Amino acid sequence: MTSQGATTANRDRAEAGAESYPTVFAAVARMEKAAEKFADEISFLFLRNVTIEGIDVYLKYHLFNAGIRPRIEIGGYGTMNQDVLSPDGPLARGDPDVIVLALDPYEADPSCGLPGWKSERLRAELESLFELLATRTRATVAIHTFIAPTYRELGLIVDPHGGDLTSQIAALNSFVIDYVRQHAPRFCLLDWDRYVRMLGVDAAMDQRGRYLWGAPFRRPFLALYAQQLSRVACALKGRAKKCLVLDCDNTLWGGVIGEDGIDGIQLDPAQYPGKVFSAFQASVLHLFERGVLIALCSKNNEADVFEVLDRHAGSRLKRSHLVAWRINWDDKVSNLMALAEELNLGLDSFVFVDDNPVECGLIRELLPQVSVLEVPAKLHELPQLLFRDGLFDTLQLTDEDRSRARLYQGETQRKGVRAAFADIDEYLRSLETVALIQEVRHQDISRVAQLTQKTNQFNLTTRRYADPEIRAFAERPDCAVYSLTARDRFGTLGLVGVMIVTLAERVGRVDTLLLSCRALGRRLEDVMVVNCLRDFAASHPVDHWEAEYIATKRNEQVANYWPRLGFSPIASSDGRTSYRRIATAAFEAPPSHVTVEKE
Amino acid sequence: MHTEGVDERVRGVLSALLNLPLDRVPLDGSREALEEWDSLKHMHLVLALEEEFGIEFDDDEVSSLATVGDLARAIEKKRAAAGGR
Repeated sequence: MTSQGATTANRDRAEAGAESYPTVFAAVARMEKAAEKFADEISFLFLRNVTIEGIDVYLKYHLFNAGIRPRIEIGGYGTMNQDVLSPDGPLARGDPDVIVLALDPYEADPSCGLPGWKSERLRAELESLFELLATRTRATVAIHTFIAPTYRELGLIVDPHGGDLTSQIAALNSFVIDYVRQHAPRFCLLDWDRYVRMLGVDAAMDQRGRYLWGAPFRRPFLALYAQQLSRVACALKGRAKKCLVLDCDNTLWGGVIGEDGIDGIQLDPAQYPGKVFSAFQASVLHLFERGVLIALCSKNNEADVFEVLDRHAGSRLKRSHLVAWRINWDDKVSNLMALAEELNLGLDSFVFVDDNPVECGLIRELLPQVSVLEVPAKLHELPQLLFRDGLFDTLQLTDEDRSRARLYQGETQRKGVRAAFADIDEYLRSLETVALIQEVRHQDISRVAQLTQKTNQFNLTTRRYADPEIRAFAERPDCAVYSLTARDRFGTLGLVGVMIVTLAERVGRVDTLLLSCRALGRRLEDVMVVNCLRDFAASHPVDHWEAEYIATKRNEQVANYWPRLGFSPIASSDGRTSYRRIATAAFEAPPSHVTVEKE
Repeated sequence: MHTEGVDERVRGVLSALLNLPLDRVPLDGSREALEEWDSLKHMHLVLALEEEFGIEFDDDEVSSLATVGDLARAIEKKRAAAGGR
């Protein structure tokens, strides 16, 4: 997050709760100027047959607070297909990152709601619109459930054949949900029907607006819808947090283990307040399953904490869920910095939870990059706390996500071993690293896109790509997308490297070169560059290589990467340096401690 | 009755919504005269005024009220009927 975004967020957070339109409107106007400097931009195109205007203000509000500058275009009323197909339509003019469909079934199908109406025809229309968007655009498509009617036209009767409106809308919704299930992350779900349940129908829906202006949604609905869309944008921009750092006493359980002892703390799933902490631990396990790394940072005796995790019957969180911990009496600022270093993660990917307002305040003050969540004064709100702000939201779970904790635990073992070796070369040889380098396979496209979105440190150009763009690169004959998957004697590191090379007029250009932070320090990058360029030159006519370094706040460690490989600088401006190298000049042999496999 | 207050507040809301200086939205300013005041802005205006004054316009009024002054008078009438807050 940019610092402007962060500070504005703090100032305006208080106003977000009220979300009265004029206040949000004024806050957005105030932030507009600072937002021009945001590095991250995202474009939305709404295709709709309802009046949705006003949502742009809420969307800007949430995205400005996240340090992202949105461009928002709202297509014509009821002209979804034309907007997609017309050569001078909004789709042809722009190339949106996110297409948002907002469809009122009563407008889309004039017989919707009449006796005997069946949703099949609308379903077929939706399906062809979805397919059109999938083939004509590279955008992430946000589709939605339809809102179940709050009245029953049959009164008390349940239609034995499911011909009633409620059943038909429900069938339509299962189709939509199923479609997202099969097409994520290209398609994602905005659950309108759930928003109405959350807000209540009177707060969400506006009957007068529907008949007067074709505007069926009240502002609280638009505000919530915009907030959820902003989460989609944050997920696409790689803002998802990666590590959850938890305090222990009065956060993971009630009471103080050092004083109350293992039998005195409150963690009984059958009794308040233990019930609340037990439910909170269940939330933590959900995040663990989503690939979030779980760590502890608390002022306790380490043995006391592990006694609870290992032996307390009510503790759902176990030692095996943890990737790292700092349980000591040092200050938490130093401990969080040490955790970031151990895990090779930026502090901006940390979420810290503590019940102590002083600790929370200290972290907010001294490590503003960390997202801080304080245990709520209303304890019953604790179990939902981790999901409230969508901090960990991604659009899809990859296999990497599911096994991430195991991958990092392997890293902890590796670090233990490193200490035992006299020099680094001996250590690297002992790891017995094997690198598999191949052109990206269909099933790896999401992981490759995810790496371009999330990798900050070893990333020469920091170009963020979504799945469709990676697929487009891979399909171009003048272009190659390479992946590097590594393993060693401690286990697999997974798919950790990406290189994209394009060709124009006999110049091979390195569009992207990145390596996940957990694979750093074994010169896998050199192995990758040498092998990929050799492979590319074997199938493409190349006289020269060109490469770039684009400086960001986080990638300084690779500023001098290209000269090391024999590239010479040819131009430099605005933190952007271009390099060139003759293709026939041989590369220095890549390090011998890595064995290379090719498919 | 706070006649002046209501007039000024209505003009304030309209000037913010249309992004026009206050002197461009006089009391006799109308939907016809101000091209920025389109039907979409009118919808936002109606909702903003209802929020600002805690009132609800009748369905017919929503489309018939066409000048700043009309809006202010209608708001005053509603507030008087509700006990003149």
